Amino acid sequence: MPKKPILSFFGCLLSGWLLLATPLHAMQITLSVADITASSLAARGVRVVLAQDGAADLNIAELRWTEKIWRKVHVHCAEFLLSSARMTCRRGKLDAAPDLSFEFGYNFSSQRLKLQVSAADDERLQVNADFRVQPWRADVQLRNAQGRRLAAMLPPAWPSLVQGVLNGTLRLQGDGAGVSRANADLQLADLAFADASGLHAAEKLAGTLHLEATRAGRQWDWRGALDWQGGELFWQPLYLRGGYALQASGQWDGARLQVTRAVAELAEVGKLELTALWDANKSVLLEGTLRGNNLGLKRLFADFARPFLNESLLAASELTGRGDVDWQYHNGATQALTVALRDAELTDGQKRFMLRGVNAVIPWHADATSQAGISFNEGVLWGAPIGATAWQIAMRGREFSAAEIILPVFDGKLAVQDFHLQNEGGEWQWGFSGALSPVSMQKLSVALNWPEMHGAFSGMIPKVSFRDKTLKVDGALLFHVFDGTVVVNRIELFDPFGRMPRLSGNLDMRELDLDLLTRTFSFGNIQGRIDLSVNGLELVNWQPVSFDAKLASSPGEYRKRISQKAVQNISALGGAGGAAALQRSYMRIFDNFGYSRIGLSCVLRHDVCTMDGVEGSGTGVYTIVKGGGIPAINVLGYNHRVGWQELLTRLRRVLQDNMQAVVK
Amino acid sequence: MNYLIKFWFALFALCVSAAAFAQADIEVNTPGVAALKQSMQARHAQLAVFYASGAVGLAADGLVALRDASAVPLSARQTVNGLVAAENQDRKALYAEIARANGHPEWEPEIRNTFAQRWIQRAQPGWWVQSGGGWARK
Repeated sequence: MPKKPILSFFGCLLSGWLLLATPLHAMQITLSVADITASSLAARGVRVVLAQDGAADLNIAELRWTEKIWRKVHVHCAEFLLSSARMTCRRGKLDAAPDLSFEFGYNFSSQRLKLQVSAADDERLQVNADFRVQPWRADVQLRNAQGRRLAAMLPPAWPSLVQGVLNGTLRLQGDGAGVSRANADLQLADLAFADASGLHAAEKLAGTLHLEATRAGRQWDWRGALDWQGGELFWQPLYLRGGYALQASGQWDGARLQVTRAVAELAEVGKLELTALWDANKSVLLEGTLRGNNLGLKRLFADFARPFLNESLLAASELTGRGDVDWQYHNGATQALTVALRDAELTDGQKRFMLRGVNAVIPWHADATSQAGISFNEGVLWGAPIGATAWQIAMRGREFSAAEIILPVFDGKLAVQDFHLQNEGGEWQWGFSGALSPVSMQKLSVALNWPEMHGAFSGMIPKVSFRDKTLKVDGALLFHVFDGTVVVNRIELFDPFGRMPRLSGNLDMRELDLDLLTRTFSFGNIQGRIDLSVNGLELVNWQPVSFDAKLASSPGEYRKRISQKAVQNISALGGAGGAAALQRSYMRIFDNFGYSRIGLSCVLRHDVCTMDGVEGSGTGVYTIVKGGGIPAINVLGYNHRVGWQELLTRLRRVLQDNMQAVVK
Repeated sequence: MNYLIKFWFALFALCVSAAAFAQADIEVNTPGVAALKQSMQARHAQLAVFYASGAVGLAADGLVALRDASAVPLSARQTVNGLVAAENQDRKALYAEIARANGHPEWEPEIRNTFAQRWIQRAQPGWWVQSGGGWARK
């Protein structure tokens, strides 16, 4: 006889010892049964009390099913019939689930079992089993079965099943070693689960599950289909709504889950094929592949990538277009990843960058050299428009390099040479050198919302490197603006993509054409040339915190004239006292004046600019414009210490109001 | 004798460093501090509702933490994640910036501790704060 729980139970029951309790007028029979064991079921301390009125009570001290243990299980049958042919229990009740009532009948000769469990709201579970046939068979019908009843059977580490309704059928076949074949067709509705932290939870899940499994020895071959039709799921940090379908098949040996083939249909994304080998004991992925062609990138990126990029530059970005992915994972690491993008668009929510018409094929291998091709039609980086370009990047492991990348910027070109990107100790580092061919200052200034400038901007970029969150420029950046030169050196930019970028460096401008400069800023006209040095410049969040700036007429012979309006504006910068310094009688007569030197310095510390003039006396009245020629004018400064914000306000007023000189 | 000298020296160093930190100006205002405070202030209106519901609490390390996500509808849990991440980035930057503005970047941990206590002291009744490793409702 095959060893089945129900048969073992009655086998033991009949071989147990029988006790006739007294007195006879309240006769009851108590049967105590030795332990019952089956493949996955064990019961200890089984005691059956048969009452005179036809009722029966079944007490089990300990009932074990797979890893679950129930203690002091009590079943009461209001009507219990036991004959040589069959056993029947009607209006049965289980202490552990008082809202359930059940009936069961077992025919000893045909070895057929019928069990029906029911509860309020038309909830019903019906089991029809035939233990005579080989293999034995059991059909389970579920109608409005409440999912919460399964909660006690789930592993404690799983989120708690809060609610849910199951309908469908479950067909089981088995032999002496237990269930050997299972077939389930279930509809799930209003399913909800949650863990204590709320980081893994679902609500109103609805869908269908079809599962077939066959056991050979210890190994199960399975095939399943899950159609998730509705509801929402939060699995930190992912949030997904229904609209996914999964078909999968594989093996399970109790320790390892092999997915030999799975196809996931993701709404608005497309079809993904995957395989996996999962070590259930260690909870690690041993092997895996993932392949998808012509996938919709918008939802793929939003649902599955961006939630992991909360603290990165891409935290507020969107990716659209279509793409292919092919991922190979072996020996605990990604061995190959090929990504192709077609007509993709990457947009930053904070408008820092945008790339449009991106086409790329990136065939990356962990230990082989390969070439990636990336191109795009247009883009914007921090306000600077970028034109169409195509790059070839060599890849080897975590090292990426390109001999030359040409990036069209405005109407010029940024040539990036010896670009390299590598990962050392989990940190990404990169570096390059390059040159900027002339960019129209007019286009640059309009793009950056600066006053419209004229001329061209070009220069050499020495070695630029980024490591330890710091961008460093070794050597000097050289640019040409306003017909003069600008040398920027000792540039260090800490955390450029973070919350509080901090820049330090020195700036040295030589022989800027004041005529071009003042025309640009509507400052009134000044003719001549000027040198400006800014040492110890420190910007925090792109705002100046400290610097030593000095502005002085360039050495050499050239025409030096200053207009009445420029004089007035320089005076206005000096504050109310400055106006008194004007030689008012001259102002009435002449439109412009000669000068011999212009000089102004500002040392910014603690939000205060300490100013000085041509001579740099440090105290008393100082000269900003020293007169020379005919007619000559001196512009004097009176206040050595001016609040930085106040100075900015004055400068803004002068530039924005296009201030007209008022001479009295 | 050597030990005695070392002890007094250590005590002296401790007092000096404590006294030195006592001079830290945590109200220092720089463009960076102002920008961070403004950013945090703008976010506060969004976070306040989650402080009140207990979803987010004020942690003992001067940061905020997702304490009980179940107090938030499923569809809003990613939003809370994003707010907590952004707030913590600002807070870390704020402590570093105040230490730097004081001319002592190495004071960042002490400044962070001072702020942690201050945030918790100023928390509104009903908000959750972390103390002694556990969470308590203020």
